[in-house]
Amino acid sequence: MNWNLFIKEIRRNFFSLILWIIIITLFITVTMSVYRTFLANQSKVVGMLSIVPAGLLQFKGISNFNDLLSALGFYAVNNIIYMMVLGSIYAIVISSNILLKEEYDKTAEYLLTRPVTRSEVFLSKLTVVSVNILLLNLVTTLAGFICVEIFKTGSFSIKAFLILSLYTLLLNILFGSIGLFLSVIVKRPRPITTFSIGIVLIMYFIYTLSRITEGIAKIGYLSPFKYVNTNVLDTAYGISPWNLLYFTGITLLLTIISYRIYLRKDIYT
Amino acid sequence: MQNPVIDITDLSKFYGRSRGIEHVNLEIGKGEIFGFIGPNGAGKSTTIRILMNLIFPTGGSARIMGMDVIRQTKEIMQKVGYIPSDANAYSSMDVNEFLNYSSRFYQLPDSSHRITELSRLFDLDLKRKIADLSMGNRKKVSIVQSLIHNPRLLIMDEPTTGLDPLMQSVFFELLRSENQRGMTVFFSSHILSEVQMLCKRVAIIKEGKIIQIEDIDNLRKKQLKKVFIEFGEEMNIDLFKILGTKNLNSGPGNVISFLYSGTINDLVSYLWEKKINNLIIEEPSLDEIFMHYYQI
Repeated sequence: MNWNLFIKEIRRNFFSLILWIIIITLFITVTMSVYRTFLANQSKVVGMLSIVPAGLLQFKGISNFNDLLSALGFYAVNNIIYMMVLGSIYAIVISSNILLKEEYDKTAEYLLTRPVTRSEVFLSKLTVVSVNILLLNLVTTLAGFICVEIFKTGSFSIKAFLILSLYTLLLNILFGSIGLFLSVIVKRPRPITTFSIGIVLIMYFIYTLSRITEGIAKIGYLSPFKYVNTNVLDTAYGISPWNLLYFTGITLLLTIISYRIYLRKDIYT
Repeated sequence: MQNPVIDITDLSKFYGRSRGIEHVNLEIGKGEIFGFIGPNGAGKSTTIRILMNLIFPTGGSARIMGMDVIRQTKEIMQKVGYIPSDANAYSSMDVNEFLNYSSRFYQLPDSSHRITELSRLFDLDLKRKIADLSMGNRKKVSIVQSLIHNPRLLIMDEPTTGLDPLMQSVFFELLRSENQRGMTVFFSSHILSEVQMLCKRVAIIKEGKIIQIEDIDNLRKKQLKKVFIEFGEEMNIDLFKILGTKNLNSGPGNVISFLYSGTINDLVSYLWEKKINNLIIEEPSLDEIFMHYYQI
């Protein structure tokens, strides 16, 4: 790894990281602040929700009304959108840009003619992406934990909270590796931010569609969201070895392939 | 040649089916200022980009100071400076920040003196943002960053693009002085005059193939000029065939143009008693030179 490059990249991405942390933390805080009001009016809300089609509730991630009555359950339902979807968008955007930006800004020619190997460039940038995703998850998880602690009405399982946070992190990192892969297979250097965001949204759409439509339930397995277990109130809640293997396996595979491609990629400016 | 600084053997690059370069062979010795000339699209940048390990060859090999350009990039770049044709830097940085960032890659104990010295030479404002710089000033930044670490070899792709004539002469003077201190220079250009001004030897590349490697003195003997003469009276074009001219053309307004390889003295003597309204003598294009000398 090259420290000079690493520090420069950390600085370059710092403002964007802070912005994303603020946005996600704000969403979590605002949503969790509604929880107490929700509890106070639970009979009315449950009455309202009972007339909403089950499919629509599934779309929102609500499979059981009781899930919403506990602070952790309420957090898990909303966590899907804010931390998993937004976090994944952040991960794919930063990772798809970190190498490609040098090419479409035409600075790759400068960088790759420094006394630094392509391997060092790739590893330095990969470390920057990992550190950024980790920091985003760390701070937003902490914010989520504080919110659940503040607004809870009873005790909750810290273990379940941590497992849910681990799922979020694994999902974000997986999308990070997809972004990295996309950036090295692009032939003509150009920003692919919109395309990358589209991938996360399409994956989430496939996942939610598969949940509400039985006929296409199997299509859901194409989406990484399918492998995230959010049933935090389940007594046997945990992370299955298969799910762990899925996330780490695909992440490692895509990262190694991206690395191999980058080492032999022709750089045009 | 013993221990060439650049040693290119049978180097080829194809972009799919399109030709980049084909079977290029070249040796450049220590302390040379070597020019690489050819028209646009001839393969100059392709060759340089392979040397800088930005693109990979489809055949052959290239070595710099005995090191393989693909496997020993880091060691090579420690000793090489590079000025690309498009001088691009990080637009969010200011000049000083960018040059310091560049020098940290070489782990120099103190580069501030060298940065100040080179920036003064090129009249570069260190506090200005890269984003606010003109093309010429960006080129100056690119020149300074390439020399911070006192490289043993400087590779340049069309280095004078964007530089005004005054800065070009400052730059050429700097190159000559660095060359006297032992730096080898390899640069591409499509401007014959700047190559003639600096180089000891040149390689001429056309359509991906090196067609000639010549001493600059031999090339100088072949001084080819493009001549336009506007006569004040009707002139018989056949009178100019005796001068050993080529591409002889006549146009409206009694204008005759041709390529001329003789001495200017002979030409002026020949025109002495003729009624001339205007006489323009200029550098021919490389294509015209190639057509004239190499019949390609």
